[in-house]
Amino acid sequence: MIISHNKSISSNLLYTIVLLPVLLLLVLPVLNIVVLTFFGTNFPESIASINRDLFLLLLKSLAVSGIVALISTFIGIVLGFSLYKSDIKYRNVFRLLILIPLFISPYILAVAWKDISVLIFDYNTSIFEKTYSFFGMILVHSTIYSPLSILIIGSALSNISKQMEESALLMGSFKDMFFKILLPLIRPSIITSFVLILIFSISEFSVPAFLGFRVFTTEIFTQFSAFYNHNLAMLQSLLLIFICVILLVSERKRISDSVFLSIGTRGREVKLYSSKKIVVFSYIILSFAVVFTVFIPVSILVYQSFKTGTSKFMEAIFLLLPTIGNSVLLAVIGSIISVFIGFVAAYYSEILNKKLMNMMLLVLFAIPSTIFGIALIKFYNNSLLNFIYSSFGILIIGYVGKYSFISAKLIGNSIKQMPKSMEEAAVIQWIGFFKRIQKIVIPLVLPAIFASFIINFLFCFGDLGTSIMVYPPGTEIMPIKVFTIMANATESLTSSMALIVFLVTILLVSLLFFIFKKIIAKYNVNY
Amino acid sequence: MLAISCEQNSNSIVVYTTVDQVFSEPVLKEFEKKTGIKVKAVYDTEETKSTGILNRLIAEKDNPQCDVFWSGDPLRTAVLKNKNILYPYTSKAAKGIDNVFKDKDNFWTGFSARARVLIYNKKLLKDNDVPQSVFDLTDEKYKAKVAIANPLFGTTTFHLAALFSVIGDERAKSFLENLKANDLVIASSNGDVKRRVVKGEVYCGLTDTDDANEAIKEGANIGVVFLDQKGIGSLIMPNTVSLIKKAKISDNAKKLFDYLLSEDTEIALAKSCAQMPLHNGVKLPDGVLSLDNIKPMNIDYNKTAGKLESIQEYLKAWVERK
Repeated sequence: MIISHNKSISSNLLYTIVLLPVLLLLVLPVLNIVVLTFFGTNFPESIASINRDLFLLLLKSLAVSGIVALISTFIGIVLGFSLYKSDIKYRNVFRLLILIPLFISPYILAVAWKDISVLIFDYNTSIFEKTYSFFGMILVHSTIYSPLSILIIGSALSNISKQMEESALLMGSFKDMFFKILLPLIRPSIITSFVLILIFSISEFSVPAFLGFRVFTTEIFTQFSAFYNHNLAMLQSLLLIFICVILLVSERKRISDSVFLSIGTRGREVKLYSSKKIVVFSYIILSFAVVFTVFIPVSILVYQSFKTGTSKFMEAIFLLLPTIGNSVLLAVIGSIISVFIGFVAAYYSEILNKKLMNMMLLVLFAIPSTIFGIALIKFYNNSLLNFIYSSFGILIIGYVGKYSFISAKLIGNSIKQMPKSMEEAAVIQWIGFFKRIQKIVIPLVLPAIFASFIINFLFCFGDLGTSIMVYPPGTEIMPIKVFTIMANATESLTSSMALIVFLVTILLVSLLFFIFKKIIAKYNVNY
Repeated sequence: MLAISCEQNSNSIVVYTTVDQVFSEPVLKEFEKKTGIKVKAVYDTEETKSTGILNRLIAEKDNPQCDVFWSGDPLRTAVLKNKNILYPYTSKAAKGIDNVFKDKDNFWTGFSARARVLIYNKKLLKDNDVPQSVFDLTDEKYKAKVAIANPLFGTTTFHLAALFSVIGDERAKSFLENLKANDLVIASSNGDVKRRVVKGEVYCGLTDTDDANEAIKEGANIGVVFLDQKGIGSLIMPNTVSLIKKAKISDNAKKLFDYLLSEDTEIALAKSCAQMPLHNGVKLPDGVLSLDNIKPMNIDYNKTAGKLESIQEYLKAWVERK
């Protein structure tokens, strides 16, 4: 139901105040590059290059990323159930451990997994060499994106009413309850998980490039970086953006009543299963997942870091120490702005049916990072806006543009679950717009706000694709430093740096969880 | 947001470099120390195949931020020259450098060179079996055991373009087809070639002297061969330095340009990554070869850059073909 206060001056004011900078600072650069592409001198040649082979490549990429999304979502269901519905000890430790692949760069994970595969398998046949890139890509992408699925599906599982499950168990077996009650109830989250992971996977470049697996993003990169044909690369990117938008719009239509990620249960009791079978199954499956996706790659990094002593690790600390402050500060600022914009976009989209800003964020999210970087250069690199381009402001604009949609998505789904009656009652009492937002809406969606802050922070902190294109000369941020040093550094130094990034990230995320837990407890919301 | 804008300093200079940060940063720091001029550098990453910088320079063409471009090879510089991004400059410091390593229109000048070499795993290949010519790599005994980096990027592009220039299109294509038929492994980068050889995934691979040197420094059991010393010679790839065309070319930019061409820089790069000085008579550290000891491939760097453009579509199709 849409609350009938569309005409409130305050509400329109807030929307306009946020929409204008989004439009001017984030969307306009992209529109500018689209116009430059269509009116560029070599546009006819570029359009002629969009041929059948390219569409076949797009289909291949969709199929591969579809497999990744299927596998990750299946893992999300199984591990989400084990983490959120079974009565196991050390649940919170498992929850943190299982998130770890999200903290490590896809490229570094790909290198680690390739090293592992060399240790395990023999490379005697060329058939293996040629086919492993396909399986390698599926393996690495599934490892990276499964934690997202676990978060999405696990949180949906923990939002299901205990009474509903117990009633179902009285009427039938656990199997019936699982397949006829639980799965249909979390279907929207399953769809969301599938679609989001498909988009993440199809837009990711570094893993297929490292493994030598040709997909649509590697083709865009080739046009961009081997032929320096920005026009064709942009046209190809538009195809990718179109696919992503179609996927997200269709997902949106299918999940009008979605139970999406939220880290709180708002006082609702969660049914935990304590039967021996389920608990043992959960321990086995979670331990396997932790060993496979965390212990093995991290062990490889630790081994490579310290195999020649501690000197390389110390050198890595010395190299990265000056970058930590800037990186954390920028990621925090980027995340705060992203969450604010995401919140406004989500609120107006879900409650006031104003979907324009949400759609804009969606398009920005779907643009390949490098292309977004080029769009920012073309727009901001002039005498008028040079003060932004030559400052850290350009990095924050990059982060906000790329990742605000994630906040809008997470907070939007939480707003969907919010009892509308409370805000309606406040409207009847003539309580002002900002007061309602402050006293009713924000406390109700606080867990989702914090969850989106953490996820945004992780993406901003690790961003490389856009940052490498626009980072100001003479400055240093952590991911840039790691990847610029990595070229031709020794294996032990590279692994040490990856390990330090991982340790810093896990420390910061634990700290954020601790702070948020305290704040949420103040609002008396279950966490 | 703007409160954390970067430090502005008039006595500063902006340099973009595709040379690995571990090697280029110490040289730039030394320049800062000697001149008091602050250097603001932008480095590139292996993940972006060291092309992020070039794309950034192209995108920034209308309002250049960069003053000096230091490239690891002349090919990328030639791309910028063709796009009218560079400014010609003749440095006095280039006096001792052979004209073959300079652009005829003075848009770039070469210094310290790397070479393309073959590295091999000593455990897997006996001395007698080590290839001595690039053309040996099509031999069936190396089937699926030779790696090169993706030739659409980096110095491998340069290597293949040089081969096409020297032996002609027909022979070069035939050679590449034979390599492909011999199940050549195409790695993601030169660093990846090094990793594969060191770990024994392949017997040998083509890479650059700095990668080979790093592997040896790490204690890898590999050997290094300068190929075709009795034939067409090895490809020599000088670093290049160029000024970026902008409204005002600063004196600081010229100072850095001159410094990069100095013998001090060449000695520093020889020590850190075994690069070979182009000035005559520079005292070499142990283990670094002099150019006098290597038979170079006889190429014109500008013409080779032009050759690349004509073969790129073929190379793309060749890479993508299974």
